[in-house]
Amino acid sequence: MTNTSLQQAVLTELADAVVALDEARAVDAAHEALNESVDPYTAIESGLLVGMSRAGQLFEEQEYFVPELLVASDALYAGLGVLRPHIAADRLDVPGKVVIGVVEGDTHDVGKNLVRIILQTKGFEVHDLGRDVPPSRFVDKAVEVGADVIALSTLMTTTMVNMDETVKLLAKRDLRDRFQVIVGGSPLSKAYADRIGADGYSKDAIGAADLVKRLVQQAPRVAT
Amino acid sequence: MTDSASPKERLLRVLQRRPVDRPPVACLGGMMNAAVVDVMERTGNPLPEAYDDPARLARLARDVARLTGFEDLALPFCMTLEAELLGSRVDPGTIAVEARIAEEAFPSVREVALPKLERIPEASRAARVIQAIALAAAAKPDEPIVGSLTGPVSTAASIVDPITFLKELRKERANSHRVLDAVVGAVGRLAEEMVSAGADVIAVSDPTATGEILGPRAFEEFALRYLNELTDRIHRLGAPVVVHICGDIRPVEHLVARLHARAVSTDAVVSLSHLKASHPGLVTMGNVSTQTLQLGEPERIAGRARQLVEDGVDIIAPACGLGTSTPLTHIRALTDAVREG
Repeated sequence: MTNTSLQQAVLTELADAVVALDEARAVDAAHEALNESVDPYTAIESGLLVGMSRAGQLFEEQEYFVPELLVASDALYAGLGVLRPHIAADRLDVPGKVVIGVVEGDTHDVGKNLVRIILQTKGFEVHDLGRDVPPSRFVDKAVEVGADVIALSTLMTTTMVNMDETVKLLAKRDLRDRFQVIVGGSPLSKAYADRIGADGYSKDAIGAADLVKRLVQQAPRVAT
Repeated sequence: MTDSASPKERLLRVLQRRPVDRPPVACLGGMMNAAVVDVMERTGNPLPEAYDDPARLARLARDVARLTGFEDLALPFCMTLEAELLGSRVDPGTIAVEARIAEEAFPSVREVALPKLERIPEASRAARVIQAIALAAAAKPDEPIVGSLTGPVSTAASIVDPITFLKELRKERANSHRVLDAVVGAVGRLAEEMVSAGADVIAVSDPTATGEILGPRAFEEFALRYLNELTDRIHRLGAPVVVHICGDIRPVEHLVARLHARAVSTDAVVSLSHLKASHPGLVTMGNVSTQTLQLGEPERIAGRARQLVEDGVDIIAPACGLGTSTPLTHIRALTDAVREG
């Protein structure tokens, strides 16, 4: 094989390892990429992330479900762990910053984690506050990191009201215009998002990532 | 005569697929409990304090039924008893926020070691709930007593970090089965206690075991199998089981039809008239959107309830867990519409 076709084979293997949900294979392929002098940035972009987006596609088509997507992301991170240290920090282009969490009173974080994973695969810097997060923590963290978007998740009707509280707290602190707020979770609807004055709603994780992209492009972040 | 049926007879008849004058309107307790703030404030008997005393728990169940118009007495008021018995740490919540898992007992299914649950520890909330069921039953109410349980997959995902658990359904299949088998043992033990204390019906909600999360293969392998094992065990005790499945069931509809439960309760997104048409043998329960219940106009809520009755839904109920700030007037719009036609 020529050098280029060898490199191409490594990129394909990186992508396939993620789609095959195989962590060990992703790690081997990442080392192989370094051995074959594949640019580590290219190995991530044209290898691992291609695999993750294929896994995301399979998720959308209901071939893969949540367990598969989670394991695919483990394979992705395993490969990233090998490749990232070889990339100069200034080459990692960050399209935007997102603060994400499950609102107070709710500990169901499967949906939130999916959104985080998909956002990370698209290059966003994601600050994950975890679950059961009070409104003030969302606001404080968003200010601290200079976030573009605050993403609020809940699975329960019982805790939807805490999304409203977070939006209100932003207004109270005169910060409402500084951040885009998006909401998601199975009991929610576009109507509810509009009602509490959120900037966006998505019914699923794939849509949430597209939504964040759109919002960040629409409103380029003011330097802070 | 069917028209003189007590609420208890009516619900039990529906679950035996026998004719009734009209569908019952019920709320199953557990994740679907109707102990809204409005009820607790009016009666001066709030959660989580009510969990300290079986008499207060029984009183809360009665007050919920009396004030909301739901035709059953359902206990408990959260879905954390099982995980707590199995070692997870529970945050008891407040009057407005339900009890929830604060920390799972195990980091991985590999490390789960569950001793067989012989007795329910006396100092546990679960023991007080069982005593409350006995107190409620001793009063011989007209309403059926529903003991509410968390399903096997959701309980397992409450004793192992849920994200890890979902991954391990693929990565650690044998250990996942081992954990689910042990969980069915423990939850089944709790069901036994509830039935011997006087529960007429057992409700099992398994919100992590949805078609959308698991997909059909994992749903069949992990959810259907253990839900049915649990159901069979409870049916042998003589109590009918109702299973609630969250989310869109389309990816697993053919499997939902294979549940051994006497009735299946679904989320608002599911068309119950379609489900009934595809599976005529299925007894259906549901599914007034809890968002509509919380935020909608009472007239719309009543209209939705009447539509479900017209569609032939067998038991009318909220579609999911009620928001604790749901106004009592909205719940009454639902129950009155069914009870008064």
